[in-house]
Amino acid sequence: MTAFVPDPLTLALATLHPGALRVAVDGDLDFTTAEDLLTTAVAALDGGRLTDLHLDCGGLRICDSSGLAALLMIHRHATAAGTRLHLERRPPVLERMLHVSGTYEHLTGAPAAASRHSSTQD
Amino acid sequence: MTGLTSSLGQDKTGAVWRGAPHPVLVVDAAGVIAQANDVALRLLPAAAPGASLADAAPAWLSQAHDQALTAGAAHPANGTRPAGGTPPANGTRPDGVVRGPVGEATFEARPARDGDLVAWWLSDVTDLERATRALRVERERTAFLDTASSELLSSLNLDRCMEVTARLAARHLADAALVILPPHRRRHPIAYCGPDGVVVREELAVDPETVPGLAEALQGYPPLPSRWIDPAAAPGWLARDGLGAVGSMVVSALPGHGVPAGALVLLRGGGQSCFSDGEEVIARLFAARAGAAMSAARLYAEQAGITETLMRELLPPRVRSLEGVELAARYRPSEHTARVGGDFYDLHPSAEPGQESLVVLGDVAGKGLEAAVLTGKIRHTLQALLPLADDHQRVLELLNGVLLKSGERTRFVTLVLASIRRAGGRVRLRLTSAGHAPPLIVRGDGRVEAASTRGTLIGMLERVTSVTDTVTLEPGETCLLFTDGITEAMGGPLGDEMFGEERLLEDLRQCGGMPPEAIAERVEMLASQWVGGGDHDDMAVIAITAPRGAHLSAVGGLGRGRFTA
Repeated sequence: MTAFVPDPLTLALATLHPGALRVAVDGDLDFTTAEDLLTTAVAALDGGRLTDLHLDCGGLRICDSSGLAALLMIHRHATAAGTRLHLERRPPVLERMLHVSGTYEHLTGAPAAASRHSSTQD
Repeated sequence: MTGLTSSLGQDKTGAVWRGAPHPVLVVDAAGVIAQANDVALRLLPAAAPGASLADAAPAWLSQAHDQALTAGAAHPANGTRPAGGTPPANGTRPDGVVRGPVGEATFEARPARDGDLVAWWLSDVTDLERATRALRVERERTAFLDTASSELLSSLNLDRCMEVTARLAARHLADAALVILPPHRRRHPIAYCGPDGVVVREELAVDPETVPGLAEALQGYPPLPSRWIDPAAAPGWLARDGLGAVGSMVVSALPGHGVPAGALVLLRGGGQSCFSDGEEVIARLFAARAGAAMSAARLYAEQAGITETLMRELLPPRVRSLEGVELAARYRPSEHTARVGGDFYDLHPSAEPGQESLVVLGDVAGKGLEAAVLTGKIRHTLQALLPLADDHQRVLELLNGVLLKSGERTRFVTLVLASIRRAGGRVRLRLTSAGHAPPLIVRGDGRVEAASTRGTLIGMLERVTSVTDTVTLEPGETCLLFTDGITEAMGGPLGDEMFGEERLLEDLRQCGGMPPEAIAERVEMLASQWVGGGDHDDMAVIAITAPRGAHLSAVGGLGRGRFTA
């Protein structure tokens, strides 16, 4: 059997218009690459000078729990910096992960299926 | 020099060979020197004609002369060593050529026989000899270091590394050798190898200060030059029986990875010279290799120890049944020690008969020590929250709060809570998934359903929500809890495809009515086969089955019959 060699993660940054940056994520977002995305995205937030950060996930092949943790941390940093985070062109693997992990609404702003219980931590 | 007479030649030829650049001695059968040329006389001033070779020349040459005569020929046709007389220490080659020292130099003497006379042509081979010896020594050292490296690196066991180091050092570098490690509970682990090649292992409460240079070497300081030590100054544990008095000693640090791995003491018996510079260099090179091997072995042992401790702490309990429910669990940790600590499960039997028991299956994101520590914290917290287990949402909220307060909020955990209660022949389950794949229910007729539960992962978001599903298992039906190590196992023909939920569902459809051990084992086996030889994450599976009891109708275990349970 051939050993599975993960894709490296490539990140391409493009300014859409002043205050809006797009990061195109290509390859595998996993245990070995999640840190890169987090570092790049947090640096791109630029201490709050961005209004919108677009993560283009069209080229995302795999996303594991480390990848999801990175997305959640980017969201937290973006919220703190007053920047809106957009997860765009989400592949099915990411959609499913957001649903299963219960983070769909939190990360996309779109409502997931209704839930019976909910509460807020104080 | 005047008036040489010789059967070898007249003055004319005599003049020629007298001025020859090589010393020449012509010696008769009685061992008396007949002629000597100018260079020979400069080399051996007493070798004037008429003098006895034995008096005028080194013993090896006169012995060789006697041998050459005894052999009856300077070139024995059969090439065997001439009989009679002890061979000279330097050994005679079949062609009669011998070597030996003259003063500080080394000379080679070639015999040329003429009747009863032998002309000995000498040539200075000091440099050649030195170069040859240096080359041989260098080759031996290279071979030794090569052997040492491969022997040392063949084992990641510290005890074995110590023994190999002591044995090789005693065999190749000294008469006896000791490997001394930094103290462990006030005693120094020591490996001693004496001249007999036997390695003795012991732990001694010794004071390194009593041996010159040892305390420094154990601190990792560079080695001191060897020195003569007063035999009385070598403590008994160092200079042991079988070695006699200590003549000289070298103490070397065994350099480890940033910390000294120990010290190497080389001992030579009495009457032996100090170690030469070259020998000390080789001892240092050897010590560097031994130190690296020993320190790698120690680090490995420490890592293995930590991993084992964690695994023991994290390893799920082995339980076959819980309050009249059949259970089977399979846990296959990732082979990467750096990735230990992902999956866990716990079984909490009910406090009172008839109440709910709780099964928890979880998966901590991230790997390694931090994840393992977090796993421990989660398990302890859940244990403390057991009295609240009738409200899964409340348990998840409290656990989330604990993790948010205590952590960096960089890791999360996903889990499934399964509260289980036996109700007659059936089993009632309350299932709550917090960011985790929902459990799968394997019905008796082979239908497979996913439980309708979902919820937020724990430990990263302020707000967690959850939906609990209640499921009833008829006798023989199973609820399967699993971690994403199963569904996300990478493998297949090209090794780049996930095992996936569809394959799992497809297979479970064949498992209707199977006992829990068979289902759990099968799922784990399928995922493992899918991975083949590739890497995999932790895999954990729990199968919870409503017991069949003794089914009296015995129709494939399906349908309703009477149960003895």
